[in-house]
Amino acid sequence: MNHVLELEGVDYQLWLSPCKQGYRLHLGDEVTAPIDFCHQGDGCGILIIAGAREPVRFAIDGDTIHLHIRGRTSVLRYRDPLSALALAQKHAGQLVARAPMPGVVVATSVLPGEVIAAGTALMVVESMKLETVIRSSQNGVVDRVHFKEGESFEQDAVLVTLSAEGH
Amino acid sequence: MRKLPFDTVLIANRGEIAIRIIKTLRELELRSAIVYHDLDAGTPAVSMADVAIPISGRTPVAAYLDTAQIIAAAHEVNAGAIHPGYGFLSENAEFARKVLEAGIVFIGPTPENIELMGDKIRARKFVQRNGFPVARSAIEEDDPATFISRARSIGAPLLVKPSAGGGGKGMRIVRDLDALEHAIVQARSEAQRYFGDARLYVERYVEKPRHIEVQVLGDSFGNVIHLFERECSVQRRFQKVIEEAPSPALSLELREKICETAVNIARSANYRNAGTVEFIFDGSGFYFLEMNTRLQVEHPVTEMITGIDLVAEQVYVTGGHELRLSQSDIVLAGHAIEARVYAEAPARGFAPTTGKVLVLDYPGGPGVRIDSGILQGQQITTAFDSMLAKVIVHSPTRTEAALKAERAMQELVLLGCETNASFLARVLADEQFLSGQVHTGYLDENPHLAAGEFASDLSAFLAAAALLTRPVRDSADAVPELHASLGSWRN
Repeated sequence: MNHVLELEGVDYQLWLSPCKQGYRLHLGDEVTAPIDFCHQGDGCGILIIAGAREPVRFAIDGDTIHLHIRGRTSVLRYRDPLSALALAQKHAGQLVARAPMPGVVVATSVLPGEVIAAGTALMVVESMKLETVIRSSQNGVVDRVHFKEGESFEQDAVLVTLSAEGH
Repeated sequence: MRKLPFDTVLIANRGEIAIRIIKTLRELELRSAIVYHDLDAGTPAVSMADVAIPISGRTPVAAYLDTAQIIAAAHEVNAGAIHPGYGFLSENAEFARKVLEAGIVFIGPTPENIELMGDKIRARKFVQRNGFPVARSAIEEDDPATFISRARSIGAPLLVKPSAGGGGKGMRIVRDLDALEHAIVQARSEAQRYFGDARLYVERYVEKPRHIEVQVLGDSFGNVIHLFERECSVQRRFQKVIEEAPSPALSLELREKICETAVNIARSANYRNAGTVEFIFDGSGFYFLEMNTRLQVEHPVTEMITGIDLVAEQVYVTGGHELRLSQSDIVLAGHAIEARVYAEAPARGFAPTTGKVLVLDYPGGPGVRIDSGILQGQQITTAFDSMLAKVIVHSPTRTEAALKAERAMQELVLLGCETNASFLARVLADEQFLSGQVHTGYLDENPHLAAGEFASDLSAFLAAAALLTRPVRDSADAVPELHASLGSWRN
């Protein structure tokens, strides 16, 4: 079956199949073989890829794989198909404003029940010494403001939930 | 070693700079004390200090800004001196004054020095009056009612800055005058919150400016020397990312001129301690930007090319001694580059990142210095500045230094929290950077450096990740080899 690994916001559909010298990597129509991974010690190993041996440092944290290969660090996420679906349904029928990056709430500009137009400022947040105004992308009614002034949030956190106008 | 009027120094700071200061205090055989907020309890700075005193606040940052708690902590451990590091209270004249009133030595300039130079407006007026060059500007407090119209009359592009600012906080470039008022509102709000001072000024923004600063050192006997310049033009969001010394932009004549100007500015201000005079260089001329009355983040590049420990000199001059160095003792040797490792994602607009440091392995070898404030296992939050460490290299030439710095960034392994290390390696290998033709807009004009295309590395990363992800490997192992060789029929 196909699996999904996300890297820098791009989903890659891939799967592995066994072969004599290890595995084949199937990425779309592209096949890279043979590949294999030899564990060497805590968080260290050698990636064998198309005849080359690449030292790898890695750390696995749940579905997140942190890798350091060829002097470069990257974070990949394994997308479990079930949990991705659950997330999508949780906010079905609602409009949400999400945090573009982690930060702190400087001020909230709306209250639950307020009818707002697209472009209305919902919240002023601060990240990395810069203030950003979070605006509504659509018309709607404020359902819930999830953070108070001074509270901090992570990237992708739901800041404000709106219900569509007329509900 | 010369006698000092104190044997314990309290560090009113955290992270890498606290460790940096502790290292010199150990060399000087002084006891180190540190204040810390609960969030920093497990950090190496706290465990390295001889004694650590907890402080608290409404926010973690507020704790490090609490003068009363810090002075009480100094008394508690009989610290005869306080080193403020950079940021926090380092350029707060009121703090320096209260420290002195409490009978404690402030390892920094005099409160009068900070008052004069810490206020950007007062500083530029002072510098202008003394005959040194400054940029065209409109200062709000001269006449608040006409501030906006005076700013408009300078013409775009403009730079809006907080009078009490530093570190790029609250600064905004305005290219379209219609956006001026909005930029002023936002800059004012940030200025109020960061510096407790909402005053602003606007100056003409020089396109493609280079940021060149001169390290100066003064004592209480009127001696002022310089330790050459640093160039800090590689910036994102007005914050320095890569710094170097000397600047590749200056001829010998210009170097002499800019360093001498800095010394004269510091001397006319009766400046004591380590300080930095910042200039904007437009390719031929330079003008005064501001003076930082503290130890700078990037001070190690100066230490690398001069072999001088700036913190030790700070301690000696505040201990009442005359400078042990004269200008002719300061010799420029080789080239040094510093790369700042930040918890951020360059490909996502340098958004800050968070996480737990799962693996941490620093580069090393001759000419490589690491000033780090973190440990494996540490949680990186957005409560403080996102700088995790500085990697500084020293080589005979700029080309060799850039190569060494690039290699060091590739050897740095920090997993668990995304950093800008790979981005820094790309910048250090970029042709424009190597040619020395950079300016403060260089990174904005070269977004490909931040984007970091994967190209040939993509399959290696995907292969390693696939092999290390159990469900992916398990489903491969469940497929008999013969069936697998038929291809992707299972899809």
